[in-house]
Amino acid sequence: MINAVLVFNNAGQPRLTKFYTQLETSVQQRLISEIFTLVANRPSSACNFLPLPPLLANSSKSSTPTTPHNDTPSLVTYRHYATLYFIIISTSTESPLALLDLIQVYVQALDGLFENVCELDLIFNFETLHATLGELIVGGVVVETQLDKVIEGVKAQGAVAKRPVNESKGGMGFAGFGRGDGVWAGR
Amino acid sequence: MFEKSLYDLIRGMRNHKGNEKEYINDSIKECRKEIRSNDMDLKSTALMKLTYLEMFGHDMSWASFNVLEVMSSQKYRHKRTGYLSAVQSFRRDTEVLMLAENQLKKDISSATPTVISLPLGAIPHVINPSMAHSVLSDLLPRLTHSHASIRKKTVATLYRLALVYPETLRPAWPKIKERLQDENENPSVTAAIVNVVCELGWRRPQDFLPLAPRLFELLVEGGNNWMAIKLIKLFATLTPVEPRLIKKLLPPLTKIIRETGAMSLLYECINGIIQGGILEAVEGTTEGDEVAKLCVGKLRGMMVIEGDANLKYVALLAFDKIVRSHPYLVSQQQDVILECIDDPDISIRMRALDLVVGMVNSENLTAIVGRLMRQLRNAPIASAADDPNNDRGRSAGVVPYADDDDSDAEESLRPHEQTSDQPPPLPEDYRVSVIRRILEMCSRDTYSNISDFEWYIDVLIQLVRVCPATKSVLATEEDEIENTDDVGSSIGRELQNVAVRVRSLRAEAVDAAQSLVFVDRRDQMFPSSGNGGLGVLEHAGWLVGEYANYLTQPEPVLNSILHPSTVQLPSTTLAVYLQALPKVFSCLASNDQLSWTPERQTLMSLLMARIIHFLEPLSTHPSLEVQERAVEYLELMRLASEAASGTATGPEHGDFTDPPLLLTQAIPALFMGAELNPVAAGAQHKVPLPPDLDLDTPINPNLQLLLSQAELEGFETDDDDVYAAYTEPITSTSAPDPTISAAERLDAPRKEPTSYQNAVEEEYLDPDILARRKAERKERYKDDPFYIDPDADKSGAGSGAVTPLSRIVREGNNNTEVDIDSIPIMDLQLEQSRGGTASPADGIRSRSPARRAAPTRRRVEITADETLGPSDSSPPNPSTLQQQSSKSRNNFLQVDSSGLGSLSLVDDDEDNGAGSRRLPKQLTRAEQARREAEEAEMRRALAEVERKRLEMQRASERIEPTVAETVVSRKVRKKKKKVEEGGGEAEGGEGEGVVKKKKKKKKEKVEGEGEGDVEKKNEGGAAEEDAGVVKKKKKKRRVVSMDE
Repeated sequence: MINAVLVFNNAGQPRLTKFYTQLETSVQQRLISEIFTLVANRPSSACNFLPLPPLLANSSKSSTPTTPHNDTPSLVTYRHYATLYFIIISTSTESPLALLDLIQVYVQALDGLFENVCELDLIFNFETLHATLGELIVGGVVVETQLDKVIEGVKAQGAVAKRPVNESKGGMGFAGFGRGDGVWAGR
Repeated sequence: MFEKSLYDLIRGMRNHKGNEKEYINDSIKECRKEIRSNDMDLKSTALMKLTYLEMFGHDMSWASFNVLEVMSSQKYRHKRTGYLSAVQSFRRDTEVLMLAENQLKKDISSATPTVISLPLGAIPHVINPSMAHSVLSDLLPRLTHSHASIRKKTVATLYRLALVYPETLRPAWPKIKERLQDENENPSVTAAIVNVVCELGWRRPQDFLPLAPRLFELLVEGGNNWMAIKLIKLFATLTPVEPRLIKKLLPPLTKIIRETGAMSLLYECINGIIQGGILEAVEGTTEGDEVAKLCVGKLRGMMVIEGDANLKYVALLAFDKIVRSHPYLVSQQQDVILECIDDPDISIRMRALDLVVGMVNSENLTAIVGRLMRQLRNAPIASAADDPNNDRGRSAGVVPYADDDDSDAEESLRPHEQTSDQPPPLPEDYRVSVIRRILEMCSRDTYSNISDFEWYIDVLIQLVRVCPATKSVLATEEDEIENTDDVGSSIGRELQNVAVRVRSLRAEAVDAAQSLVFVDRRDQMFPSSGNGGLGVLEHAGWLVGEYANYLTQPEPVLNSILHPSTVQLPSTTLAVYLQALPKVFSCLASNDQLSWTPERQTLMSLLMARIIHFLEPLSTHPSLEVQERAVEYLELMRLASEAASGTATGPEHGDFTDPPLLLTQAIPALFMGAELNPVAAGAQHKVPLPPDLDLDTPINPNLQLLLSQAELEGFETDDDDVYAAYTEPITSTSAPDPTISAAERLDAPRKEPTSYQNAVEEEYLDPDILARRKAERKERYKDDPFYIDPDADKSGAGSGAVTPLSRIVREGNNNTEVDIDSIPIMDLQLEQSRGGTASPADGIRSRSPARRAAPTRRRVEITADETLGPSDSSPPNPSTLQQQSSKSRNNFLQVDSSGLGSLSLVDDDEDNGAGSRRLPKQLTRAEQARREAEEAEMRRALAEVERKRLEMQRASERIEPTVAETVVSRKVRKKKKKVEEGGGEAEGGEGEGVVKKKKKKKKEKVEGEGEGDVEKKNEGGAAEEDAGVVKKKKKKRRVVSMDE
């Protein structure tokens, strides 16, 4: 299952934190900064899987290698879009490549909701950010992977506000961001 | 007052560069005021702001009651905000959780789908067992809700409910199963159920076998790759319990592998075949070979052709799983895997490193180690601390600060291009891990992969030079556990291990230890910066002492030990050095074949005076271990010194005069004796207890007195050192193994003889080591009396050289400082046998002439661990220890699903079929015990709920009487229901508890006069409600029985 979904920007400022277990706020913050440290120094050519951050690595050592499946989070997957990092922490019951696709679906859904989504949209509409994630994942279990259904689900909850008008500087014609990169896209 | 919206808050934060902290604190203060307002809009906005700030680590637990208020608002917008804050801010210890229960139940039963979604999403985050119990009855009907989105979310929520309250599955599983079997079900719901079943599946795979036909159908139908991935993962856990599935699965899986365009599905197919044990099951058949070839071929393709780092990573993951069962298949892909060891991406490197350790064998060991060594040697020693960015916010948390420019944040989220493509420097922990892996690979199965121990010794020495600096010497000194973690020390242990186990190479190992001990060569042997690798000295010091008679240059060794810098070594190392000191001395002084001339007397006196001078200050060393040894040997040396000056000397070139017996007999006798051998880890347990051994009677009845005296005298109690110093080096060897003679492996004709002479070696061994190796080889040939040089005449080195005569020659050399290097090494073997070690291995150890002539047929005897009786396959019991420890420290992000392990779903179906909710008789005792414990816990939880509820209620009454009223009414109804349920389920002792609870309630009633009326009114309503609940229950049962 999925243990946590995090979004933060290039400076390590969180934009979304969702932990599927109850966790002390201070521990949450420490984990975010540990993962940011790991992710910030990676070249773009590097793969999208992180070694476990120290907080997680210590506790997972105890698990014996003979049990391939367990409850311990063992996989940290990330994707980098412009100014934002999307991170999913999960156990071994999730497929690493499928998680990358899931992040893609999430971002595409946001793009569909905001039309050319950018970090500012997410800052000012962080409730929508949560709502979108809520359509994808419930309690750490993926419940939907189809883009249109996710968008439909969010829209059913009410109109999605664009970012405040005076905040927009316009001229951001970034089309085609949603194209799948890589042949391994799940769908 | 002007109120800020969330938008204003964010703008404000962005506009207050430099003093955001102040701004945020002010904003939180405002929120505190606003949240108390009666205006729901204001309240909700304030909550939204607090939730936003919570993301940055600002505590909002104080607002939990207000969260509840907003959750209970009638407006959807407010509700949504309230639920979001609850999810983000409620923790295990949040007290209002009990109050939230009713709101959750109410919203689950709402008519509006969007409202139902809110509690469905929130329950997984806030649920606890007692809540789960009560919410369950409201959740179950949602599985048949008309909206597919509600059904799929309910399934996921029920799964999380089951994790904290396994009993959930008793009523829920049949319904979920029904959804799964329904072919007309919305595909999204089916996919969600498959996801949940996949999570449940690995705990109790046998329970899910009945579903296999349907799952198989879903897999073959295809259409949804996401679901197919999960199905394959699920099947991988089912095949081990039902081998017949394998035959059925193989065709569709191979079909997918051949046909799918989705790389993730392809990968999971291969992964499923590996993990499900399908590869093993079909091994040997033509079909099996084909599958294996197909999988490995595809994985290879992922690594080579695609050039995608992610594929490389997952392919390595898959290889890592194959390597355990099919190492030969992976070895065939050695070329591509080894490439990954040098990959610039550290994630890939680590994976490759893991993999390589698994696939190593005697043929590729040298190549793999060489590659790793080259990496260590060529990369600069860089630590993560160099980069100040890395430390950012480590302890303080990330503080929100204003962005420099909005334009940055407005950039569309397109795939990012990064400029820097430089390979990262080797981080310290990676370096350490590489060194450890090298040691692990080489020492595996008591060195069965190593054919050339001289090469190994050189590798060890080279490793010392690339050691990263240890973090703090002090820490290693104080903490024994820390000490064993030091890489230098691990390398030293290996060197020691080789010297002890491989007799024929002992001279070389001691030689290496000797060069490490030399103070004047320290710059050369150790990393130039930091104190890396110094841990090796502890073991090197032991080696030069224990095998002092192998030393080629005992005097410089003694000088190095006596060097003033020695005193600065860590106390554990210093203690070892002190022990080595008299050993080396006795090797120099104990010759009884040499006349006691005045020259020899002076020499000895001088030496002893130096030793005494060195030991004297150490006799007051703070470390008890060092102090004790120093005092002991100080006295011994003083004694010997007296004996030396008291013994009359003979003439220079006259008759033989006996040297003092203390030097030639007494001191050597202290250190000579039985040879030290490796002892198996479990051997100590097998020593039979002597019948007359009484462990209960105190040796000294006045122990208390002694202890108190000792305390008065201010004893230091680091006697652990003593224990460690004697036990550690010997017990450090790997787990006990059946004797595997390396010779057996070596007997096979080797394809690549003399691998160490390959040119690659030059790339990872330092020039001086290479030069030495060359010189040694030359030397060996020159001095080996058995070596038949076809070109040279044989007169120089005859077999006659190996006589006691040469020993005398050597002893003469010792005293007269002749170049010791010119002594034939064969001598050392004689020295050794004089040491009184008669062992069956004597015939084989040694650099036998045959070996020289035919290097491919070398025989190396590796001493196995000594043990009593049949060799124990498992060391004492670290596994149980580990289990305990793993239990105690659960991962904090982990969702514990172990509760599900004991809940049988198959049994459950039968129970429901019988229409009974009572415990079936065939329940095992363990299950019954668990249930009882569960029920007891439930009772406790209910009592706790009661108490907290009252507390909360009173607290809130004081603040806001209006809110309190609604809470009271809710409370009573709730309580009633609880009592009803408790009474219905439990027998005997439970009844008493119920009575008590009721009494308690009455007492409360007397206390709260004002509430009295309200409560009475509600009691009536509650009773009606109860009747309704009972009816509902009956109805439910009937439905269940029809299902079956």
